[in-house]
Amino acid sequence: MQNETPLLRNRRLAVTLTLSLLLLGPQARPESPSNGEPTKTPAPTAMAYPALGVSAERKVDVSWNRYYSHAGLSDILVRLNQAFPELTQLYSLGRSTEGRDLWCIEVTARNMGDPDRKPAIFLDGNIHGNEVQAGEAVVYTAWYLCHQYDRLDRVKALLDNYVFYLVPMVNPDGRDFWLATANGAMSGRTGSEPIDNDRDGVADEDDCDDLNGDGVVTMMRIQDPQGRYKADPDYPQYLMARVKPDEPGQYTLLGWEGLDNDGDGRINEDGRGGYDLNRNWAWDWQPQYIQNGAMDYPFSQPETRAVANFVLSHPNIAAGQCFHNNGGMILRGPGREGGEMKGSDNRLLQMIASRGEQILPYYRSMISWQDLYTTWGDEDSWLYGARGVLAYTCEMWTTANLYKTGNDPTDQQEAEFIKNVLVDDAVVPWRPYDHPTYGPIEIGGQKKEWGRTPPSFLLEEEIHRCMAFALYHASVMPLLRIADVAVEPLGDRVFKIWVTIENSRPMPTRTGQDIDHDICPPDIVSVKGADIKVLSAGRVLDRFFKRVEAVQARPERVELETIEGMDATRVQFIVQGSGPFTITVDSAKGGLLQKDGSLP
Amino acid sequence: MKRKLRAKWMWTSLFVALLAGGAAAADYYDHATTTEHLASLGRQDPNTVRVCEIAKSREGRDVWMVELGQGSDRDRAARPAMLVVAGIEGDDLAGPFTAISWIERLVRQRNEDPNAAKLLETTTIYVVPCLNPDATERYFAKPTEEIGRNGAPNDEDHDGLIDEDGCEDLNGDGLITMMRVEDKEGRYIADPNESRLMLPADPLKGEVPAWKLLPEGLDNDHDKRWNEDGPGGVNFNRNFPYNYKYFAADAGLHPVSETETRALADFVVAHPNIGIVLTYGAADNLRKTPRSAASPGRSKPMEAISDKDIGYFETLGKAYRAKLGLEKELEVASEPGTFSDWMYFHRGRLSLAARPWDPAMAVALAKPQKDQEKKNPEARSRDPNDPNAPKAEEKKPAKNRSDDKRGKDERDQLAWFDGHSPDAFVAWQAIEHPDFPGRRVEIGGFKPFVRTNPPLAMLDEIADKQGEFLMDLAGRLPRIEVARIECRLLADSIYEIEILVANTGFLPTALAHGETSQQILPTRVTLDLAPECFLAGSRTTFLPALAGSGGTAKARCTVHAADRTAIGFEVVSTLAGRVKGTVELLKPDDIGRN
Repeated sequence: MQNETPLLRNRRLAVTLTLSLLLLGPQARPESPSNGEPTKTPAPTAMAYPALGVSAERKVDVSWNRYYSHAGLSDILVRLNQAFPELTQLYSLGRSTEGRDLWCIEVTARNMGDPDRKPAIFLDGNIHGNEVQAGEAVVYTAWYLCHQYDRLDRVKALLDNYVFYLVPMVNPDGRDFWLATANGAMSGRTGSEPIDNDRDGVADEDDCDDLNGDGVVTMMRIQDPQGRYKADPDYPQYLMARVKPDEPGQYTLLGWEGLDNDGDGRINEDGRGGYDLNRNWAWDWQPQYIQNGAMDYPFSQPETRAVANFVLSHPNIAAGQCFHNNGGMILRGPGREGGEMKGSDNRLLQMIASRGEQILPYYRSMISWQDLYTTWGDEDSWLYGARGVLAYTCEMWTTANLYKTGNDPTDQQEAEFIKNVLVDDAVVPWRPYDHPTYGPIEIGGQKKEWGRTPPSFLLEEEIHRCMAFALYHASVMPLLRIADVAVEPLGDRVFKIWVTIENSRPMPTRTGQDIDHDICPPDIVSVKGADIKVLSAGRVLDRFFKRVEAVQARPERVELETIEGMDATRVQFIVQGSGPFTITVDSAKGGLLQKDGSLP
Repeated sequence: MKRKLRAKWMWTSLFVALLAGGAAAADYYDHATTTEHLASLGRQDPNTVRVCEIAKSREGRDVWMVELGQGSDRDRAARPAMLVVAGIEGDDLAGPFTAISWIERLVRQRNEDPNAAKLLETTTIYVVPCLNPDATERYFAKPTEEIGRNGAPNDEDHDGLIDEDGCEDLNGDGLITMMRVEDKEGRYIADPNESRLMLPADPLKGEVPAWKLLPEGLDNDHDKRWNEDGPGGVNFNRNFPYNYKYFAADAGLHPVSETETRALADFVVAHPNIGIVLTYGAADNLRKTPRSAASPGRSKPMEAISDKDIGYFETLGKAYRAKLGLEKELEVASEPGTFSDWMYFHRGRLSLAARPWDPAMAVALAKPQKDQEKKNPEARSRDPNDPNAPKAEEKKPAKNRSDDKRGKDERDQLAWFDGHSPDAFVAWQAIEHPDFPGRRVEIGGFKPFVRTNPPLAMLDEIADKQGEFLMDLAGRLPRIEVARIECRLLADSIYEIEILVANTGFLPTALAHGETSQQILPTRVTLDLAPECFLAGSRTTFLPALAGSGGTAKARCTVHAADRTAIGFEVVSTLAGRVKGTVELLKPDDIGRN
């Protein structure tokens, strides 16, 4: 908790931010709600009719078919927090390298139980700066939950029983860099600490350059009879094709748009940053020579450190998802061959993910190292390995969605999509340019948004479906109830008390990994009463044959390794005395429950 | 009995008399004393010594970094550097004393000893005298308990309660020692060869266990376990990423989790000129040459020192043992997550680790001395008052001869303490223990800290020898120089330039694993000439690693530049310093004109 900045401190900042956005005008602040100025036309809601999915009434109106800067998403979070104080808390987990706030919005029914003790799901996104839709998906989740709480019973139950910790932008520096400046599809993935990628003693001195000033970094090509490429005969504006043997060449590709800024005879070899925040987590971490981009030690970066400290100080987190792009993958650990994954945990993760495959068309459930590639020190592996949290990486967006056939489209089909569906809004036409090293060249090609992020009309669907999978993931978290407290007299003021604790959801209070490494304390069932002495206690192994495993010491508390999912656990206390007593179940991931009883 | 005691006393006095220079250290340094020593060093010689705080400990103490060397900040940051870290293992007070003594001597000697003066002009020395002051301070607290970890809260027994069952000083002697409880459920017997020591009972030998062996204290949380969750969190020398043992009780929540360890990690990242590291602590790769192996191949983690680097560890280990008088290698326990291993395996530096003293070393050092006396009768006659002393020493093992090797090391060590520091062991003494009413409970055993830190009388000599080794070590850093510049005229205004760079230091400019780790930039030669002047080669030439003791590499290029131009160049090495030079593009008829 000590790393969280309370909202109070940030409110002033948020207000300043909102004000400055207002000053920037309407393009920076879309659909601003009534701000005191008289409006002549009726409010949009009066003329709108709700489609299924979300309500017509939008206390915070947001267009979900576009991308927002850090300030833009921050503004939505602040407005949500102001509109739904009974459901949200907004705080900063820390600051990025360039000083942007790492926002967390906590969504739960604050008047229903202690928010710090409810089972929690942790969602974060955009740890790779260029994977922007992850940020929208996380903020959309907060927006959706707040607006549907009073409307949909299942949303109400989720927020009554559970807490959502939502961290939309783990790498806001990369996000803003990618959105606001000329870039390619992959630049902006890194954090913003300068790194000497070409090992020449100077950091970040030779990045890409927007040579023709069109606001996009695209590709460079040069006409070359020895070149190995030609314009695709059918889609010359969209595609390059390899020349066949004996066919004359047309072009040589020269890579991303840029100059040899440092005069070392190489172009764009030491751009901004150059590391990977999703290889900086402490579980199965390996240094640079094994894992590129790992940085010097686990949690060396302010962003990963802040998020890790938050997770470490919230042992109630039972589930987690990290939103990325792209490929349509629901990834789970281990990240490397031979990494830890307990059988029971894997089965549960597989079960949840196969539901995800239905909710998310064309997404596949995969084991990271086996079905994708090896990663050391990634976030979902840490959430599971070090914290025992059932976690996924959700790789949002797949081009299989372009034609909804389930097959990855060919290059030609993609070109058709750009041409006919996007009406060319994904490519920059090739234009001549006089390059100081290469001479006359051409610059053009695909825009940074193409391939990794959904176009406007598919974005809202993508973030809703990803959220829907996260809501399903949340709904399997443990839900405990003290179902029964039965008292049976044994004579001489001695009583047998049987406590039945029910977990009505599939996830156990402690996963196999948690139990194996004593990550969280055991679930503790205890009895207390002013006039009660506990003589013996234990877990009931068989309720019909009444077999009980007695504790060795401290009979007033019984430590349970876990409370299994879709099951009931029973605990027996033999007590002497009279009058009222209280049964307490204290479970890190299952919550804190109490039930009163009385001895005759 | 009387004679034996007398013999021991004589042995001790002989030893004390052998100590160089008389007055022994008064005590180990507490935090205030350390601070005072460092501040006074800084005052004495502000141009050579800089002291800064790199972190505040959990309990608010300053963690000091001392930097020695002359010249500007820029100069010192570019020079070959050595880092010494002590007090990283929180029960180590000998290391901090040693490190402080060495730098004090170095600064003191600067005016008389040209070696010391030269070292401070050409080398940067970084010293962290005590990384874990919160833990070392426990040596001075009452009751004294050897914990070795900082005060981070930790639920060691995983019962949801934190630090709820620590030790208590039950016999009021101000020390936390051990407690043995006569108990059929125990696992121990008294060592048949030394009744003060305990051994696990061996059922194959028909031994019936009779004792429980526990730390001194009560079962505060009534879980029938004693002192299983006391204060104490992280051992800093288990908190680094290489071979880190996740979930170990003393390892912290994750690697580099503590403010102090993070400050040290950030410091070495920010000071890439550090080529040699020596860490004082429980890990030791100088008493015995560590394991080595061939590189396991691309993208596979190294698990042993590279066979290409092991020679340096071997050579320095020999020099170390020779300095200390150890005739053969001593067994060492390997520890996970140490700072020294991180600095080699992940950061590619020559990283050494040593425990300046422990009972095993004391026993080993006592033995050859004895052998020498046997061989050389004159040595014995030096002490005419006590002709029996060596005999008594010889007799003792004969009397205890037994083929039972169990507990032998501990018996030998106890015998050494009896001879040199008889107070070190608290004799077992019966008490009434509320948790064991009517049962025989005894308190006793080694005092805290005595097995990790030498008796005070020996401290100065140990610090001297370690200091001499540190001095030797600091002289072995790699160091580049320009050995030769050749410039050949090929045609008008076209020259071939060749700059030969040599490493005059002992170590290479990068170890084999230094290159593998990618944490040491290649040595580069950069000419101050526009890129378009190069007909072959380029402004910057990257050199392969230069071997130690005179290894060379050259930068070659062909340039098109005006005759008689003087081209400046700079050779920059991460670990071996930087040098500047000039090439003059001379025509043959220019030569000799001056």
